[in-house]
Amino acid sequence: MIRLERRSGVSLAFRVAVPCAAFVVALLVIAILLVASGSNPVSTYQSMVSAAFTSSGGFSATLVNATPLVLTGLCATVAFRLEIYNIGGEGQLYMGAMGATAAGLALGHMPGFVIILGMVLAGAAAGAAWALIPALLRAYLGTNEIMTSLMLNYVAGLFITYLIFDSASYWRNLSSAAGKVYPTGKTIPLAGSWPNLGVSGVNIPLGFIIGVGLALCSSWVLRRTTLGYRIRVAAGSHAAARYGGIRLSRLIVIVMVVSGLLAGLAGASEVGGVAHLLDPTGLQQAQYGYAGIVVAALAGFEPVGVIVSGLLLGAIASAGTQLAGIAFPVGLVGTMEGIVLFAVVSTAIFVNYRVRWTTKSTSAPAGAPSAEEVGPPPTAPSNTVTVPVLNREI
Amino acid sequence: MHDGLAIALILGGISYGTPLLLAGLGELLNERGGVLNLGIEGMMLVGAACGFWISQVLSGPSWLVLLAAVLGAGGAAACMAALFAVACLTFRANQVVAGLALTILGGSAGLSSYLAAKGNLGGSAGRHQFANLDVARLGSIPVVGPVLFDQSALVYLSWALTIAVALYLYHTHWGLNLRAVGEDPAAADAMGVSVTRYRYTHTIVGGVLAGIAGSVYSLDLIPSWSNGLTAGAGWIALGLVIFAFWRPALLLVGSYLFGLVISLGFTLQQRGVNLPPELFSALPYLGTIVALVVTSSLWRGRRLGAPAALGRSYFRER
Amino acid sequence: MQQAGLLYVDGADTRVWDRATKHSGMEHPWADEVTEKATAAPEQLGVLTPPQWLSRPLRYRQASPLWSDLLPLATVHPKTGGCSCMTEAAEGGGLEQQADAVLTNEKTVISAIGITKTFPGVVANDQVTLRVRRGEVHALLGENGSGKSTLCKILTGLYRPDAGILAVDGRPVAFHSPRHAYDYGVFMVQQHFSLVERLTVAENVVLGMAHAGFRRRGRAARNEAIAAAGKLLHLEVDPSRYIWQLSVGERQRVEILKALYRGARILILDEPTTVLTPQECDQLFVTLRALASRGTAIIFISHKLREVLSVSDRVTVLRKGATVATLDVREQNLSPQHLAYLMVGRDVVLSTRADSASRRTGSPVLSVESVTSENEYGRDVVKDVSFTVGSGEIVGLAGVAGNGQRELAEIITGLRGRTAGLVRVGDRVLKSASPGDAIRAGVAYVPEDRFGTGLVPDLTVADNLILKQFQNREFSRWTVINAEAVASWSDRCITDFDIRGTRRTAVRQLSGGNAQKVLLARELSSGPRALVVASPTRGLDVAATDAVRKLLIKATGAGVGILLISEDLDEVLELADRVLVMFRGAVMGTVDRREADRETIGLMMAGTARDR
Repeated sequence: MIRLERRSGVSLAFRVAVPCAAFVVALLVIAILLVASGSNPVSTYQSMVSAAFTSSGGFSATLVNATPLVLTGLCATVAFRLEIYNIGGEGQLYMGAMGATAAGLALGHMPGFVIILGMVLAGAAAGAAWALIPALLRAYLGTNEIMTSLMLNYVAGLFITYLIFDSASYWRNLSSAAGKVYPTGKTIPLAGSWPNLGVSGVNIPLGFIIGVGLALCSSWVLRRTTLGYRIRVAAGSHAAARYGGIRLSRLIVIVMVVSGLLAGLAGASEVGGVAHLLDPTGLQQAQYGYAGIVVAALAGFEPVGVIVSGLLLGAIASAGTQLAGIAFPVGLVGTMEGIVLFAVVSTAIFVNYRVRWTTKSTSAPAGAPSAEEVGPPPTAPSNTVTVPVLNREI
Repeated sequence: MHDGLAIALILGGISYGTPLLLAGLGELLNERGGVLNLGIEGMMLVGAACGFWISQVLSGPSWLVLLAAVLGAGGAAACMAALFAVACLTFRANQVVAGLALTILGGSAGLSSYLAAKGNLGGSAGRHQFANLDVARLGSIPVVGPVLFDQSALVYLSWALTIAVALYLYHTHWGLNLRAVGEDPAAADAMGVSVTRYRYTHTIVGGVLAGIAGSVYSLDLIPSWSNGLTAGAGWIALGLVIFAFWRPALLLVGSYLFGLVISLGFTLQQRGVNLPPELFSALPYLGTIVALVVTSSLWRGRRLGAPAALGRSYFRER
Repeated sequence: MQQAGLLYVDGADTRVWDRATKHSGMEHPWADEVTEKATAAPEQLGVLTPPQWLSRPLRYRQASPLWSDLLPLATVHPKTGGCSCMTEAAEGGGLEQQADAVLTNEKTVISAIGITKTFPGVVANDQVTLRVRRGEVHALLGENGSGKSTLCKILTGLYRPDAGILAVDGRPVAFHSPRHAYDYGVFMVQQHFSLVERLTVAENVVLGMAHAGFRRRGRAARNEAIAAAGKLLHLEVDPSRYIWQLSVGERQRVEILKALYRGARILILDEPTTVLTPQECDQLFVTLRALASRGTAIIFISHKLREVLSVSDRVTVLRKGATVATLDVREQNLSPQHLAYLMVGRDVVLSTRADSASRRTGSPVLSVESVTSENEYGRDVVKDVSFTVGSGEIVGLAGVAGNGQRELAEIITGLRGRTAGLVRVGDRVLKSASPGDAIRAGVAYVPEDRFGTGLVPDLTVADNLILKQFQNREFSRWTVINAEAVASWSDRCITDFDIRGTRRTAVRQLSGGNAQKVLLARELSSGPRALVVASPTRGLDVAATDAVRKLLIKATGAGVGILLISEDLDEVLELADRVLVMFRGAVMGTVDRREADRETIGLMMAGTARDR
């Protein structure tokens, strides 16, 4: 039987160490899975490391994969901190891609930076607008945002598929010969292609720089502005937030919109930096939105940590793409992400609680001082984040 | 012709609603105990893959192979549910994120396609499939016959399970204990009900049912394997449990309703109605959103609602 | 005439025996008997046989092999070399002799000898000894923090003692969980009930017990048995009603009934009267005496002297974790002052309103005019309430919890909307359901759940202190927070209000008293005009209570009008200038403190309006 005792003070180093340990545990578990299915874990890992980091162009590829992950990771972080479970990052990313492509195509003859700026704004706006739907439903009707944002993922996916595959829309390339045979999207003009920053042989995509900048920005906002203060109070206690005059419904909408904005930017960077056209199949296979949740969890829902965990998971994704084949089938990346998330989420308890194993005879707890004089009355520990139970009132 | 359309719709509703019903029943048991398992989609996919794989690999009389396949599907999903249960109940993980982890793990980019690739499942039709049983040859009665008496074994199983779950919840002391665990685990614990044991068992049972629901797709409805063939049915089932106010009877009605919506596209296309297929595919998802909005505005003043302790981890306090 | 309990004929003892013979799945043994006897007319009940254990084979009555295992746990107090408490049985002497003397006394049904329990930094129980006899009401008296709750949690198996012996019926036991304690018939009714709201009374009573639920006949019979048993014991309750429909007093009855249904022979009640009107208290005391006369031992935890003297046979006083005395109430003709002296160790004088020099009250700072509000079911929770609070005045709002006081406080502070009437601060009318407006108008609120509504447990003291003012210009400009201003202001508050902790301490680590001080600091230092406080001293020890009272009185000196909402009638009577009583959402009457007497107020609390 497990007995949990709350730790009194937790240092930052410890809070970082726990997710790192979780990651290592996940790698071990994946190794076992690889052995069970007939692959050699050591060589698999070696080839992954080389594909992702050490080979030439490897790190650049990692950065390319990490870019959308950092942004969707921020999307999840911003929302999950407030216990607003925005799982709609995927759909918001699709809409952002759609918006950015439209802007890129429409601003065709403008100078490069105007196109890029337009794509950024349009992508962000589209993602934000798509997130506004579950936001308003949650804030004013109390509808569970998990389900609504998730359903909208599927709707968004079907929508962009429709745009390219089953309609003669603005996004579809109907003029080229290839385009008449198999549905593809129109390419955005060359000037609108997002540039890379070359630093000692490594190409850093513009999207990644935007992502890092926004991460640092989010961290500062959380700590030093009134909006961040409101988020921290509301995350700690909804009742106290109301009591302090914080309007929760407005806060929820703001947070969801910002979250959607970030996912939309991820979509925009995919279009601008990688595909240069609207590619529904590719985007839907990549599942960046869901992977963003893994990124956020691994980072402990801290914006600055998202940069690091985004790089890690980007490395895994990049290696997965490059090594795709018999030894590295397509499902392995998702499996690895799932196991990492499981490990992270199972070890989260250790940050705030110490675990003791007890036998039945000593199982009555050593206890803690009763609420009479010392300590607050028994409440669910804040580490155990509660689901916005479906009939919660704001 | 008119009759034919109505019957076709009802049959379509039952066919596509059965996996929703099965997965929904599992999740209903889960949530009545206070555990929110968002990983239904992942468990269904893994169940579908395993069931299909078993049916391709084993040989023997069809009914035996199918039985083994269904049990195997349930077992595989139960393992995943057990993983989730350990994370959430022993390690007090956040249930939402753990459920998402389960979905990502089993999802179309995860374990199910990994297993499919290793087992070469794609592309071939199922060697053994569920066929409709014509019970007592009553299947030819107009209207009622095809609906009630000419369904596959899995449909009958789902009906039996609905009744069983309803009786269990409201007429046995285990069901009473489960409901107490979901409403107020502290009170149940004080009364001698082992909260952890109830939650574990019902989470795993929920997994078994989700796996069987997944196998409906690969062994009955489709019946072959493709990546992500459940297309979000697990999520719709989650919405259905809420829509049904956590009651089995309403769940039956709701799942057939949504099954109807899902199959509407196919049926209408067969009749020559020309609309983009994506619109039809989007209907169930939009429908779920509408249902949730209606439900959440309905209960804002009633005593119906989620089990009070849904989603919260339970510590025996000091 | 032998008196024996209806309720433990074949009660807990049988179950223990049955467990020993691996007979499981049995229906509660006395259920049939209760139904049969309870549905008979009370006169026909007659005398029942004494508890079976007296005639049980000797091997079940001797000290069990546990005795030698437990002996090493019995330690001698390092400082005094013996027991430092005063008991009737043994003066001095080692624990063994004491234990022997106690355990062979057949009247004792449960005893705790030399119990010691320490938590990090605090000794909750220090060599405590408690002996309770069968069929007596034994009060456990002590102020908050004296260890009485801890002792009872040890008795019911929630905690394990670090040293000492627990014995039931002369057999030493070591409970490792409350369920284990249930087997021996030890049950506790806590302040926070363990009832599931959405289930019925009958379902709650049988929860966790194996019984066949399929048979409709079985269910009806069980309902009848519960209703009949309830009536017999003056615990009237309707088995088919849902818990959420019941009042707090009725819920308490269900809790007691639950314990008795499971064969309780020792019933521990933790401060049961805090949630009852005076009339309901009397009803409870009748029930307790009825139970006691049937042989149930009752341990009654309280810090209220009057109740202790009126209902109990014997009282054990605890102070700072040690037993001070065990006294017989009837024989020794105790007075409240004597008990208070034993409880606190000195003469207790808490600050009261009478002490404060200036008691002039000025113009109204808070006027509530015909305020009505509905809850989500459409029922009125506050009905046409009107009163005013003058500057420098304390208006007390008395009433049993759940009669609309909390809702009224929420309406005044903007956390809840009102359907009719208005709230005025000075001349300004407050907007409905707008906490921000209330804050800006100068209304401050100290809610009764400190760590729920009032404070954010995970944030630091500084972060909590600025919760109401973080948008003021001195603390934030253009949405950026000025960290130095926050820091210096927090430090000032900490020194002004004597808060033990730094501004960086997480509030969840503070003690109850210090957390309350943080709340008061936050509210009072924003210069409010009106302050609404709810249960300000609940759960605090005497020193902290006194500090809080002094702060409130000081605030009135600065012209703040205070609305004091408290379930503790004594506190209201001692602090308020005027007392309003609420019942079912309406004000039953107003009493000036000079004319206030408990009976009238008690009647008003129970719904009899005062003739004005």
